[in-house]
Amino acid sequence: MSIRFVNVSKSFGPRKILQNISFEILKGEILFILGKSGVGKSVTLKQIVGLMKPDEGDIYLDGAPISKLSLEELAVIRSQCGMVFQHPALLDSLNVFENVAFGLGTPQYMKTHPTLLSQEAKKSVVIDKLKRVHLTDSILERFPPEISHGMQKRTSIARTLAPEPSYILFDEPTTGLDPITTRAITDLIFELSRELKITSVVVSHDMACALSIADRILVLDQGEILALGTPEEMRKSKIPLIVDFLSETLFQEDEITQKEVK
Amino acid sequence: MRKLSGKILSSFFHEVGSLTHFFVLTIRTFFRTQGNSKAIMAHLSTVFSRSFSTVLFAGVFVGAILVLQFNLMLKNFDAQIYLGGLNTSALVREIGPLIISFLLAGKIGAFTAAELGTMRVTEQIDAIECLGMNPIQYLVVPRMISIIVGSQFLLILGLIIGILGAMGIASLFCGVNFLQFSSSIPRFTGIWTLASGFFKSLVYGIIVAGVACYKGYTASGGARGVGRAVTQAAAYICFYIVIANFLTSYFLDFIHEFFNLLWGVHTA
Repeated sequence: MSIRFVNVSKSFGPRKILQNISFEILKGEILFILGKSGVGKSVTLKQIVGLMKPDEGDIYLDGAPISKLSLEELAVIRSQCGMVFQHPALLDSLNVFENVAFGLGTPQYMKTHPTLLSQEAKKSVVIDKLKRVHLTDSILERFPPEISHGMQKRTSIARTLAPEPSYILFDEPTTGLDPITTRAITDLIFELSRELKITSVVVSHDMACALSIADRILVLDQGEILALGTPEEMRKSKIPLIVDFLSETLFQEDEITQKEVK
Repeated sequence: MRKLSGKILSSFFHEVGSLTHFFVLTIRTFFRTQGNSKAIMAHLSTVFSRSFSTVLFAGVFVGAILVLQFNLMLKNFDAQIYLGGLNTSALVREIGPLIISFLLAGKIGAFTAAELGTMRVTEQIDAIECLGMNPIQYLVVPRMISIIVGSQFLLILGLIIGILGAMGIASLFCGVNFLQFSSSIPRFTGIWTLASGFFKSLVYGIIVAGVACYKGYTASGGARGVGRAVTQAAAYICFYIVIANFLTSYFLDFIHEFFNLLWGVHTA
């Protein structure tokens, strides 16, 4: 039970985004994918759920080669593999309840969970998932533009959790959020991984966040894997890009400490 | 120069090919999934609420303009008795479907392209796909069907209003009363004219729906990309409708002549 990249390459026109990368994401771990903007972090995630296809190589999810699957087979894979997007990506025309319950109404889900078809059953699942992301049922009837950006992000995580996936892919889950909400979402990813045994792949720029909760960190640069290791190994790394990321993190931590002293 | 024209032609055929593939995919999804009547009705109501007043307004004035132009020519030949028939025939056969489709392109086509384009660039469509729902089935089919069906109903409304507006103007400014106006209508406007008008309107409706949904669905590149999708949708719809107008007119004339030869009678 894992996600495996085997010699994956991806280009957009003349731009080579990923070049022959291979790695494995282990069951139950939190893997952070770090790197500068435009190095193919989001492309890596989108290839796992089949939103993009690699030009060469393949990605195997629980042994199934993603790029060779039909749409129907892909739907089965997607029911086990949720994705939280950079934007909250909630449907504006649906309220919070309908958004979170969206995944419970898909043909694939109804095939495997016939007992959850009633509205009451759906409601109890939705409330449970909202509680899991520290939201209350008071926002059930509200529409996405009527709640804060942080709440939208949490709602989108609740929507991803509703069909009970084994894997969750987070695409920059804390971008544009204040430090408190960032911390809360980081803790939430950790909780989900440890309590629900969900395998989490997190794309981020945030080294501090990665160091605090990741089991392993993968650093991408110029389409290649620059480093893959535990947070401890990253702290000891002498690779310039990783040192830059670490020094930025230490600078931020120093600033916070100084403010707390004042 | 040859290289440039070759590039333009190749991109035109690529565009038409992609559009046709998207349309076929949508229709196939519609028949495979039996559509979604609730969503189709909701979108149909959006099509009506957004276009109703414009169609009413434009219908009256298009009918009025046509009747004034026809009157200018017919009175030189002392043939105002044919004013109602000629005006209605032109409205039903040509001007009505064309104006309604241009209005739909501006009011609904642009709106649909912007709505789907925004959903694309904010990853809502990707999210729907990831949750195991087919976005073509969930988003495109209801919009496309409602625009195509809506265009037919709006044509009926526009034609009725246009003819009534023309009648009013003919009686007020051209000295042709309601009875005189309506008496010549059956002579110029028969089943064939009606069928031609509705056939053209159906083709234009398919173009508006197909291009708007395709441009929105394939938008990329943030707010700028959505803007580009909306502009392209409006421009391409007009462009394709003008081409379709020529082709359908030619095709319908051919069929008309064929039937006339077959049965030896002239049908209006």
